[in-house]
Amino acid sequence: MLAQQFINAVSLGGVYALFALGFTLVFGVVNVINLAHGAVFMIGAYAALEAVLLLRLQLFAAIAVAALVTAGAGWLFDKLIFAPLRARRAPHLAPMIATIGAATCLTSLVEGYFGAETMRFPAEILPVETVSIAGVHITELELGIIFLALVLMALLLWGLKRSRLGRALRGVVESPKAAALLGVDVDGLFRATSVLGSVLGGVAGVLIALYSNSVFPNMGQPMLHKGIAVVILGGMGDVRGALVGGFFLGFAEVFSVAYIGSTMRDAVAFGLLFAILLIRPEGLFGRAAQRRA
Amino acid sequence: MHLKIFALGFLLALGAPFGTGRAADVKIGVAEALTGNAAQYGQPIRKGFELALGEINAAGGINGSKIVLVVEDEQGKKEEAINVFKKLIFQDKVLMLFGPTLSNSAQASDPVAQGAKVVVFGTSNTADGITSIGNYVFRNSVTEADILPVTLKIAAQKTGLKRVAVLYGNDDIFTKSGYDNFKKALQDLKIPVTTTETFAKGDVDFKPQLTKIKASGADAVVLSALVAEGGPILVQARQLGISLPFIGGNGMNSPRIFELAKDNSDNLWVGSPWSVENPAPENKRFIAAYQKAHGALPDQFAAQGYDALYIAAQALKKVKFTGQLDRDRQALRDALPSAQWSGATGPFKFRQALGRGGKPAGYDAVQTAIVMVTRGRQYVIQK
Amino acid sequence: MEWLETFWATYSTLALSLGTNILLALSIYLTLACGLLTVANAAFMGIGAYTAAILTLNAHAPFALAILAGALLAAAAGLAIGRPTLRLSGVYLAMATLAFGEVVRILILNAEGLTGGALGLNGIPQLTGAFHVLCAVAASLYVLLRLAHSRFGRSLAAIRQDEIATELLGLNVRAYKLFCFVAGAGLAGLAGALNAHFTFFIGPNEFGFERAVEILAMGVLGGVSSPWGAALGAALITLLPELLRGLGHYRPLINGVILIVIILYSPNGIWALFQSAARRARATKGTSC
Repeated sequence: MLAQQFINAVSLGGVYALFALGFTLVFGVVNVINLAHGAVFMIGAYAALEAVLLLRLQLFAAIAVAALVTAGAGWLFDKLIFAPLRARRAPHLAPMIATIGAATCLTSLVEGYFGAETMRFPAEILPVETVSIAGVHITELELGIIFLALVLMALLLWGLKRSRLGRALRGVVESPKAAALLGVDVDGLFRATSVLGSVLGGVAGVLIALYSNSVFPNMGQPMLHKGIAVVILGGMGDVRGALVGGFFLGFAEVFSVAYIGSTMRDAVAFGLLFAILLIRPEGLFGRAAQRRA
Repeated sequence: MHLKIFALGFLLALGAPFGTGRAADVKIGVAEALTGNAAQYGQPIRKGFELALGEINAAGGINGSKIVLVVEDEQGKKEEAINVFKKLIFQDKVLMLFGPTLSNSAQASDPVAQGAKVVVFGTSNTADGITSIGNYVFRNSVTEADILPVTLKIAAQKTGLKRVAVLYGNDDIFTKSGYDNFKKALQDLKIPVTTTETFAKGDVDFKPQLTKIKASGADAVVLSALVAEGGPILVQARQLGISLPFIGGNGMNSPRIFELAKDNSDNLWVGSPWSVENPAPENKRFIAAYQKAHGALPDQFAAQGYDALYIAAQALKKVKFTGQLDRDRQALRDALPSAQWSGATGPFKFRQALGRGGKPAGYDAVQTAIVMVTRGRQYVIQK
Repeated sequence: MEWLETFWATYSTLALSLGTNILLALSIYLTLACGLLTVANAAFMGIGAYTAAILTLNAHAPFALAILAGALLAAAAGLAIGRPTLRLSGVYLAMATLAFGEVVRILILNAEGLTGGALGLNGIPQLTGAFHVLCAVAASLYVLLRLAHSRFGRSLAAIRQDEIATELLGLNVRAYKLFCFVAGAGLAGLAGALNAHFTFFIGPNEFGFERAVEILAMGVLGGVSSPWGAALGAALITLLPELLRGLGHYRPLINGVILIVIILYSPNGIWALFQSAARRARATKGTSC
């Protein structure tokens, strides 16, 4: 059983890490806690579902459609909410509250159009061939999720460190004013980050929808809670943190189920989170300086 | 003089509609979750009502009067349920009302109806503590306490299981209540439990719990879940190489399980008064009509909503309306307990339940459970 | 007169909810006023609700005692949590309080014997009346308004502006923050205790993230400039769904849109909008010859 639980933990961790990547990126750069990330996640899933059902696309094409749609959502978030509030020097909380409103809107629209009942992907499209090694079972999809989380993290890290865009982003995060003076298109960069973050969330949505084969309007909510925990554990705004935090939470949850009892699973996860906040609030990789309110 | 005649004539004209004895519509309230998480149950319930409404009115309604449904959305939230109940009872002045969708909401809003002496008729509330509220509370949703023992007994007989593992959702009143009933039934049948695991609503990953269940050496898994979680649970169990039979409660009785779990949906045992496979003519008629109207197969919720309106109609036909709301509401309450009907869910009658302190209270459903097992994406009835 | 009776019969729950929502909005106004972003108030509300309900259901305690116990226990929890977490600031504090809220919800879920677990507590006696809620709201508003216009209020504003400077200027910032946090917790507990006694039934899922978000929205909508703002925010969020009932299906959508629009056009809350309009009116009046 231990071996199987280990594999379970790795694949669950991959799921969480994938979701947290986009979430942490937006916070790290745009400095906004986008509570609509769960809704974006959900929209990615629906977009892919419709691409498969209506347009009869293959899985990869459907994921591309999801990426496109959620990119649009990310673009809209910045254009309609984050940028105007930045320009007005709104209080810190304002964008966050606005994203709650956005999340409610999106969820309500989706529910109104598709209905509240759980929808599913057609059988043929699910990559659920199970691979069994020494009595341990894992599906192709789970392997794909873990692989993708690792690859995306590596890409993001490389991009942020090496590419010109990445360096510009880091410069903007350090000092938006200096960057603007140096001719960097700060607003454009923020918008690009919001788009990227949403694309990551949308792709995560498709993959996780395939994992459980259920798509329903409120599917983003529980994920959002876990995503917040992951991002805190790993450190807000740090890409490595999202990955490490994701796997950490995955392991914590799986092993608390296996050895303590499934009723206390969430309590263990959040208790851990609480403890980390008290001992080392910036998480594993976060910046040491405490941020002002 | 002319003014007086004119005034008199005017007053008489105003009073005319009230004195002609024309049959007034029978107003019935419907408070269901049409938005929110619970809408996946509330919407089929409403469709069931509307289907029955069309048929009953087309056949002459209640002794010539048409039934009019006043539909409100209680969003699956208990505060909304209370608000909506009050609006229907005091503002719309309905004769009786159906709903709410969730047992959670019912525990909050049914006391309002009881206090106002208005019949509240639940079609999807199966948890404990509802009909015990008072004698104006009715429901045609058979409680898990009545169905689960039957399901377990027949499943045990047919599969020869000796020990079971239990998996249930511990944060939802419906699945938790189902678990309590399962636990009691297992104790009564003297079936030992190897391990008990839980999950929460909205979870996507059940593998840790399922892995533990596999390692515990059980012959079957007792599952108290709704289809949204039940589907993934079945799929992941089969992916982990668990081929054991699953025994489910009410929530797992839905054709949606075939869509969600597909090839992994076999070997699931459920019990319910309604089955899409039940060949009884009333059921076949209902299924055909529902498919024609909505382009999809009905589920248990739609079936129970459909039957509930017919049951209420039987009682309404026996009531002599006096035009005084209080008296009519009470007359309906007095006529309802003896209503009997054979519809999509089979022969039905009420049984009075006990309330706090052992006093007679509301009315539960008496129906025979049909036990089915899934095979090749169909429910196969087991006798 | 009958119109009034029917009106009250239909809308009494709504009116009472409005009252308790005002209390909740005030509880978060207190914390927002000194620059703290906490989302634990829903959990404190839950603690207050369960304490009071358990006392009236199992111990048949008198109403006043149960309510008081609920508020006090919530405040005590606030003290226990506040001490360690108020060292954190900004988002970290928010997330810590979120985690606390979830832990409370899970504990309630698992302490079946006491709290009924997922099945919740049923048949809570209907003891809250308009009188109780009115008194609570009036008293809280009065106290907070007095505080806001006193040196205490100005100290809070200073802390909100610049914590470090305020600390250097000799103010015991930690004490102020802790006071606001604990008082807010107590208010939320009071609201919970009152609420439990007009809704017959409470369950663990009502005091989770969704409720916390709603409370926060009320506070932010109203703004931190005045307790009246919090009351206004509560009124809007409570009454809007009722007024929009005709739009049925799209109610949550409209709620969300309104939230966004208000944040965009008056990010400091609606009350600030009124204040600036009033100021402008006074200014133009003054300039007319």
